[in-house]
Amino acid sequence: MNRIALKMLFGDKGKYLSLVVGLSFAVLLIAQQGAIFLGLVKRSTGPLQNTAQPDFWVVDPHTEYVGDIRPLAERDLARVRSVAGVAWAEPFFTSRGNVDLPNGSYKTAQIIGISRSTMIGQPPEILEGRLDDLRAPDAIMVEASALKRIGPLKIGDVLRLNDKRARVVGIVRAKLGFDSNAIFYTTIDNAIRFTPVGREAISFFFVKAKEGADRAAVAEGIKARTGLDALTQQQFTARTVRFILTQTGIGINFGITVALGFVVGLAVVGAVFYQFTLENLRHFAVLKAMGTRNRRLVGMVLLQALVVGCIGYGIGVGLAGAFSLTGRRPGAELSVLFPWQLMVVALFSMLACTGLGSLLSIRRVMRLEPAVVFK
Amino acid sequence: MTQVVTGDFVGRAGAGSPAVRVRGLTRVYGEGKAAVHALRGVDVDIPANSLSMLVGPSGCGKTTLVSIISGVLDATEGTCEVLGHEWTALSPNERTHIRGRLVGFIFQQFNLIPTLTVLENTSIPLLIQGVRPKEALARAAASLSKVGLGDRLNAMPSQFSGGMQQRVAIARALVAEPRLLICDEPTASLDSATGQAVMDLIRSAARPETNGQDRCVIVVTHDTRIFHYADTIYEMEDGRLKSHVSEHIMHEARHHPQPPESA
Ligand SMILES: Nc1ncnc2c1ncn2[C@@H]1O[C@H](COP(=O)(O)OP(=O)(O)OP(=O)(O)O)[C@@H](O)[C@H]1O
Ligand SMILES: [Mg+2]
Repeated sequence: MNRIALKMLFGDKGKYLSLVVGLSFAVLLIAQQGAIFLGLVKRSTGPLQNTAQPDFWVVDPHTEYVGDIRPLAERDLARVRSVAGVAWAEPFFTSRGNVDLPNGSYKTAQIIGISRSTMIGQPPEILEGRLDDLRAPDAIMVEASALKRIGPLKIGDVLRLNDKRARVVGIVRAKLGFDSNAIFYTTIDNAIRFTPVGREAISFFFVKAKEGADRAAVAEGIKARTGLDALTQQQFTARTVRFILTQTGIGINFGITVALGFVVGLAVVGAVFYQFTLENLRHFAVLKAMGTRNRRLVGMVLLQALVVGCIGYGIGVGLAGAFSLTGRRPGAELSVLFPWQLMVVALFSMLACTGLGSLLSIRRVMRLEPAVVFK
Repeated sequence: MTQVVTGDFVGRAGAGSPAVRVRGLTRVYGEGKAAVHALRGVDVDIPANSLSMLVGPSGCGKTTLVSIISGVLDATEGTCEVLGHEWTALSPNERTHIRGRLVGFIFQQFNLIPTLTVLENTSIPLLIQGVRPKEALARAAASLSKVGLGDRLNAMPSQFSGGMQQRVAIARALVAEPRLLICDEPTASLDSATGQAVMDLIRSAARPETNGQDRCVIVVTHDTRIFHYADTIYEMEDGRLKSHVSEHIMHEARHHPQPPESA
């Protein structure tokens, strides 16, 4: 009987195709938008992934995400260093500046300043140049993906950053943040020269706990001593993601798109599948008259829905995966993240779509009077 | 050869208890002012091993009566016992099950599933009963051979003429060897010669000497050209069985010219 159900389904090419197309589209929408959303969220935590050395990021307690900075005072750095269990604490500076382009236009860039002595927070990957050269007064290193926006740069080139001379001493690769087009690495001293600030110049403190020290106690100690939050990378990531989800329109907007994908899928499956069932109602009635129980008929309808659903799922997820692959090309603008969890979510969305979409059909088939066979 | 019967007549072939026993059967469609009294009290015994015909004007309740007899429709009042099973005493599931085992159907519109081959269509009643697909297909092929379609097993129904499709439907109806065969206007969509050929098949299904088991065949029809196939004729009028079958029907049944090839 299952074979018969499938032949009924595949025999009606038009309906079968619209079902598959509708479901593929819904799954694609859910998976692809989900991937872009996750990509954006991941990207928003990009700056947090650029350095793995410290145990803690020490920030102002009101900091909501990694791009939201309230400068910290130099004297707090000394206090943090004096907290028991702290191995070292280093300043980290980030701000924005304008870089002039040869064509007379400009771009906004993130300027990152790291400790001149320890270079903690250094770029994760140096493609060209030597880190030591950064110590020179006007030296900067340029993050590679920015090159296509601000033009080809090579070591030795000079550009104007906030109207000050900056000399390229290296090309590096680092994760961009949510709102950064380009990153320039330099030392804190240089960075402050590029972007004049007040006395409280430090964005974060990087803190390493001593070997064997109780991390939680160290964090508490810092809090008690300075009133600042010492966040692990994980905690800071969670805080940032929560901010993106709740405080920006991003969460809502993507949520709406994903819901839309679900509704489209549901509507298509519901409408087309019901239509399909209606057109086959006579055959179901004949099967019923010939002794097929309701349970069996429902099984046939569910099988038909499930097969359509799985094929649509395969195509939709496949397309979304292809999208995300293009997005993963080095230097691609689209930031996407396509973890297996997303495929599971899309799978359950598809199951819900087909399940709910076939409810009407199931109801109809269960209530079908076999007497209509004589009509 | 046709016997014309009154409402309480038991046909000549009905030795022993009747296959179908109907008492006080009524059926009302709808409610209140819109209610249609399709059956207004039908009593009849229909014998096994015979071909009974149910005739009468359009809307007199023929289809309603065979729907109840075949267990696809509930009566409003009265009882209907088929081969020892009283339909009203059974749960819906039991009824469905017994219907699958006992009853075969042939319809005016053939009701084949267009996306299945004729072989698959024919195997459906067996699949419903849980016969394994391989065996079901083998038996379906045998059944199709009996109606002369043994060489077209994998054709699609749409490739067949109406007469051939009805032969597939007959093969399907008979594949599970039902003891009650219900045919509603089996020849109404067919030309005269094709209709005769189809009736030859249906008639042989009612003959114990050709199939070795008791079988009750009920044919609902308007088609005067096939009245002579009946062993017994029941005439309905306005929801009731007439006690005497009309003279013109008896005339048709007795004097219809036999088509040359079936003489
Ligand atoms: N499902 C239904 N709902 C309402 N009325 C119905 C229904 N089925 C049949 N009827 C009515 O019941 C009466 C008997 O119908 P039935 O189909 O049994 O007649 P019939 O003798 O088979 O007619 P025909 O020769 O046209 O097929 C008719 O008046 C018909 O309109
Ligand atoms: Mg009728």
